[in-house]
Amino acid sequence: MRTATRLQILLYLTPALLLTLLFFALPLTFVGYMTFHSWDGIGPILYVGLQNITSLIHDPSFNKAFINSIIWILVGLFIHLPFALLIALILSHRPRGWRFFRNVFVLPNVISTTAVAFLWYFVFQVDIGLLNGILGAVGLGGLARPWLFDPHTALAATQAPFVLYIGFTMLIFLTQISTIPADYYEAARIDGASAWQIDWHITIPLVRPAVAINALFITGFCLRMFEYPFIMTSGGPMDATLNLSLYIYRSMVTAHAYGLSMAAGSATILLGIAVMALVFLALRRAGGRPAEA
Amino acid sequence: MDRAVATGRVGWRSAQGRGTVLTALLRLLQWSDLLVVLALMAVPFCWLVLSSFKSNTDFFANPFGLPQAWSLDNYITVLSGEPMLLYLLHSAVASFASTALAIAATTLAAYALQYRFRPRRGVFLLLSFGLFVPVYALMTPYYFIVNDLGLFDSVWGLALVYAGMSAPMSFLIVKTYMDSIPREILEAGRIDGASFHRIFAGIVLPLSVPGMVTAAIFLMIISWNELLFAVLLTQSDAARTVQVAIQFFLAAFHANYPEAFAAMIVAIIPTIVAYVLMSKRIVAGLTTGAVK
Repeated sequence: MRTATRLQILLYLTPALLLTLLFFALPLTFVGYMTFHSWDGIGPILYVGLQNITSLIHDPSFNKAFINSIIWILVGLFIHLPFALLIALILSHRPRGWRFFRNVFVLPNVISTTAVAFLWYFVFQVDIGLLNGILGAVGLGGLARPWLFDPHTALAATQAPFVLYIGFTMLIFLTQISTIPADYYEAARIDGASAWQIDWHITIPLVRPAVAINALFITGFCLRMFEYPFIMTSGGPMDATLNLSLYIYRSMVTAHAYGLSMAAGSATILLGIAVMALVFLALRRAGGRPAEA
Repeated sequence: MDRAVATGRVGWRSAQGRGTVLTALLRLLQWSDLLVVLALMAVPFCWLVLSSFKSNTDFFANPFGLPQAWSLDNYITVLSGEPMLLYLLHSAVASFASTALAIAATTLAAYALQYRFRPRRGVFLLLSFGLFVPVYALMTPYYFIVNDLGLFDSVWGLALVYAGMSAPMSFLIVKTYMDSIPREILEAGRIDGASFHRIFAGIVLPLSVPGMVTAAIFLMIISWNELLFAVLLTQSDAARTVQVAIQFFLAAFHANYPEAFAAMIVAIIPTIVAYVLMSKRIVAGLTTGAVK
């Protein structure tokens, strides 16, 4: 349609453009600029060159946070995502009650992560925790431990609810599976393919766009993960569960090192761009067409 | 979606042949998978609900059993403390205001993009790229922006941040829906001599309501549940939201856990109600918004 003046179009675009400029363009510019400056929030903004970056590189906490954020993404892409795909495949065969399972599996994803984090804090709690209680009840009390205070288990414990609550990821897979034409399945069935073969050779290759979109969402979600470590461990013990969001929060709220916190923000954004580019490359090499996603 | 699944997929029975041992095993396996996942997901929530009806002494004496006496005392204590209702109100205001603002702004933009104009592709990318930005990496600038606008420790500041944060998602859901409106309807409006504004208000807006509602459900749930900005951008009872408040229940009530559990349940009930009422639309929203 061409019956609108540029002014009318601009008028309708203005509110959304303002929101985008205020909350995406401006903050991204600010973060990029402040990466090379030091600021305590009150005094002048001082140009410090690469000093923030070298401080980050030499800060063991930042290194831990950076590596933990990468672990979050890997756990998301290689445990959460395949798990969601497996459950979606099972549900796509419409076993009895599949609709019930689908709806119940999505439910935890609409509940606040804050509440879920508190709940799982109590799952892993030492004395009254569910996990140690169950281990004791089945005679495996020897395995009981302070899960969230043991540096070997703390990170995995904060990730457990994320791995388990696959609702949205599963739903995106289910939606994609439902768009696969019925003819493909009929043809395979006439050729005598088993259900496993059908899943492996037809469904899985055809859900690649959903793999791409899920991988992008998971990467974004893991990079902005805050609630689980913040509530379950506050980043401890000894930074074992610290991640980038929590590091930025900490350097800002407790250290008032605003330049440093924004340099860490830049690192987070760059890591996100790098991982998303890798996801695209990997899926393209696997023969997918992620551009369709 | 349900119908598409029904026509698109085959049951194990028909694919597998009948009565073989293998079929039975496979069916058992898929069922046990689903039940194990269901148990893992549900058991902690059941424990939470049961514990919220216990007294503190009952809870510590017997953390895993049924309540000795079912009691609503924890809920009464939680809700009769005046601040809790205030926190719920703050969360509601921030959710509704941010959703209204984001939906209004992005619906207008989605309509403008129905027309051809010069940097149309560029505007589309500008309005949607934020979906993949990990916004918490920008928490420091958000803090200063909200401060400079004079909206620190205010639910309106929080609402504005949530609107900005969710705008890309809202834009994509509404635009995808609007794109599915048949062009002939718009053309007919134009031939009847309707102006740019009239076509929007009289034709496109009413037809876009389902897409807007879907986006609104997502946005309200996201805003209601948000924690980091609520912690960072508020500091007093003047703006505290319920997500921030549930932390204080664990500290402030001297580790009266059942009371904290009741507060958590109060905080999550609105989103569960929204989900139960709107689960069809949430499923539909993912269909239009994500897999396109």
